Amino acid sequence: MAREKEKRNSQAAEIWRRFRKNRTAVIGLVILILIVGMALFADLIVPYSKCIEQVGADRLQGPSLEHFFGTDELGRDLFARVVHGSRYSLFIGVATSLMALVIGAILGASAGYFGGMVDNIICRIVDIFLCVPPILLSLAVVAALGSNMQNLIIAITVSCIPGNVRLIRSVVLTVAEQEYVEAAKSYGTSNARIIFRYVLPNAMGPIIVNTTMAISDMILSAAGLSFIGMGIQPPSPEWGALLSNAQTYLFSAPYMLVFPGIFIVLSSLAFNLVGDGLTDALDPKLKD
Amino acid sequence: MEQVLKIEDLSICYKTDLETVYAVNGISFSIGAGETMGLVGETGAGKTTTALGIMGLLPERTGKITSGKILFEDQDLCGMTEHELLHIRGQKISMIFQDPMTALNPVLTVGDQIGEALYLHNQDGLSQKEIDKKVEETLEMVGIPKERKKEYPYQFSGGMRQRVVIAIALVCNPSLLIADEPTTALDVTIQAQILSMICDLQRKYGTSVIMITHDLGVVAETCDKVGIMYAGEIVEYGTLADIFTGEKHHPYTDGLFGSIPSLTENSRRLHPIEGLMPDPTELPKGCRFAPRCKRCSEICRQKKPPVYEENGHQIRCHLFSGKEDAR
Amino acid sequence: MSRYVIKRLLYMIPVLLGVAFLVFTILSLTPGDPGTIILGITADPEDIAALNAEFGYDQPFLIRFFNYIKDIVLHFDLGNSYQSRQPVIDDIMARFPNTLTLAVLSMAVSSIIGISLGIFSAVRQYSVADHICVVVALVFASIPGFWLGLMLLLLFSLRLGWLPSFGASSLKHFILPTLTVSMTSAAGLLRLTRSAMLETIRQEYIRTAKAKGASGRRIIWKHALRNALLPVVTTLGTSFGASLGGAIIAETVFAMPGMGTLITTAIRQKDIPMVMGATLFLAVLFSLVILVVDILYAFIDPRIRVKYQNGGKKRG
Repeated sequence: MAREKEKRNSQAAEIWRRFRKNRTAVIGLVILILIVGMALFADLIVPYSKCIEQVGADRLQGPSLEHFFGTDELGRDLFARVVHGSRYSLFIGVATSLMALVIGAILGASAGYFGGMVDNIICRIVDIFLCVPPILLSLAVVAALGSNMQNLIIAITVSCIPGNVRLIRSVVLTVAEQEYVEAAKSYGTSNARIIFRYVLPNAMGPIIVNTTMAISDMILSAAGLSFIGMGIQPPSPEWGALLSNAQTYLFSAPYMLVFPGIFIVLSSLAFNLVGDGLTDALDPKLKD
Repeated sequence: MEQVLKIEDLSICYKTDLETVYAVNGISFSIGAGETMGLVGETGAGKTTTALGIMGLLPERTGKITSGKILFEDQDLCGMTEHELLHIRGQKISMIFQDPMTALNPVLTVGDQIGEALYLHNQDGLSQKEIDKKVEETLEMVGIPKERKKEYPYQFSGGMRQRVVIAIALVCNPSLLIADEPTTALDVTIQAQILSMICDLQRKYGTSVIMITHDLGVVAETCDKVGIMYAGEIVEYGTLADIFTGEKHHPYTDGLFGSIPSLTENSRRLHPIEGLMPDPTELPKGCRFAPRCKRCSEICRQKKPPVYEENGHQIRCHLFSGKEDAR
Repeated sequence: MSRYVIKRLLYMIPVLLGVAFLVFTILSLTPGDPGTIILGITADPEDIAALNAEFGYDQPFLIRFFNYIKDIVLHFDLGNSYQSRQPVIDDIMARFPNTLTLAVLSMAVSSIIGISLGIFSAVRQYSVADHICVVVALVFASIPGFWLGLMLLLLFSLRLGWLPSFGASSLKHFILPTLTVSMTSAAGLLRLTRSAMLETIRQEYIRTAKAKGASGRRIIWKHALRNALLPVVTTLGTSFGASLGGAIIAETVFAMPGMGTLITTAIRQKDIPMVMGATLFLAVLFSLVILVVDILYAFIDPRIRVKYQNGGKKRG
């Protein structure tokens, strides 16, 4: 069926139009923009000095107009700490997923495209990595390298790569079997050109969706590892570290647990909602 | 002759929040007992939509019958509840689908899938043993050894799977069989086998058949009556003789015949129909075929053509309206 | 079928060796030798050397790996702890049952909730109930398990006082941890089951079944469900891994003596053999679960089952 209307709009506009119609996805996008804005303009919202300023008289104060989210055991303002903490979570989430994506894409695309020995070796290694639950893999890396932000990023990235390799390999395999790739090969296009010009652009949909959702998972993993003391260490105001600290005051100051947690949920949810919306927007077949 | 199926002014459209696709627009035809009617047309002409409309299997949220009647054995199927339709589907009307590779459930044995139709419409109170026996008979009837009833679809080739699909459709002895391009997905040699099998079984059981195809060769071999569909309308309707040897034709029918290579005539090239089917969301105002028609005149672009009829041979074209001898 | 099982079992051997090598290599990246780690840098170099010899650290890397594997295979020995100098396997066996109980319970709860709600949601696509299921699942998929655990703890243990807040001495102690771990994976399973079901309902063989006159309910239960569950079954292994991971973190929340707390304590104490032993132990368990799931899958999917029944020959 010829659908002239669709051709007139560019593909991106069409995706955006479908995305916009999905109410939950739009809510996710709004939350995402707010949280990213909060991370970017954290210093304008509340100066960093408020994060470290210890007011002895204000220890373990519940939420009030002066301290929106209350204060911790050292009298530091939790609102300031949560706002500035957003930078850690977002940065780690985005950085790890992008790194895992790039490495996964290189390995997965080579495995899927070249096949044979290359595919075999990469797949066997991935099989082995996939036999270790991600969190254990991360813990082993942290145990070996020590717990700080850089090692946390390495640990989470490593645990995320094998899954990406598998996904991208299967997507590339599906695309590489298509006849237009066969056609490109038949008139002597170079491998690199076929991969970058034909295979990857056509495999983009699932990869974009997966990466968006992965950011959400990475935010959760980072927070989880920091929470059990294997990630970013206090006094950094990373959300997981805040919760780890707050656990001590579970009885006396439960509000300390509530706010950082809500922000983890919101940012993770935002990426999930956007990813979900993108799934539908990129693949309208699934909607009927 | 008693009419098994009578369709009057049937219109079907698909509505999404973006657009409305006018797939079938006011078609009428009828089929007598034991007759075979061919529905011919290009992809997107509305053939399959017509079939799904008769079966009551239009996509629930989008597909709608907007007008007309589907009279099956004098009952209007459009007015029936889903529950009533369950007793007609598979028992009195059944359908063969285009692609045998996807039409069978991969996790059920072929025997189970054939037997299910019997089990669902078990009016004679057959026991499980009798059902099994009937399944075996049906398998043999379509040329599959009965021992293979315990096998799964993926163990069969395309042609054999289509035989299974046919067995499912015929096991309850329906009075109407809708075959939606039953041979399109098959090899040429298998096509002939499957077609002759359908015809044999039809003769044996007196089943009426709607044969949906875009292949005029298939029509010539199997049909008694033919409807030529274009953009959701039947543009020409008549007996096999009317269509193949008659004098007067819709320009689209002429075009279809011009698109087939002929061995008898000494023509060097084909005469394909230029252009594409109109966008079914924005159909032309006058005659739907006008933009592609070589004999199109001003009136064709402005006014819908009336139906010209001569001894049951119907043509929907301005060329024949009013002036008896246009050609 | 036994051929398939044997083939899979044999393939496990190189995989498990690979897993051991992976874990061993990562943890060998730890800076410092056991002598220095245990005694400190100020200790007598001779004492350090003696201790290194005790832990076999005077050997080259590959020999150490070989010995490690040899001890595991021959004596089921995962080495000695730097802290207690006792075999780590003793500590692992003491803690493991708690983690396994928690992971299995969570797995069961999340499968029951996730799969049944996933089917329900798909069957009622576009209904209010479906929308609620989808949104709630997304929210739960975004809640970090440990935070959910803390919130449950606040509510049920501190406010209401219904359930104990720490320990693992009775089944009651497992209720909150199980809820904590299972909610996240239940959300994932719900989404997966729902989309697999919707995908299946669109297949042509479903239309064939409808054309036969099968009712809506029959279409779902007899034709769609088994096909839809195939992709779900393949992810059950991964889902068990997620439960195991969730259990490791939940143990910290509920102060439960399990593998998670064992590993984190060991990491803090730089007790590398303990970390290595515990990690390898869980990884092997996980690999075996994946194996079982794969074999289970072969029994459900006739395409694999029949292929191996007929002596590996495919009939066309």
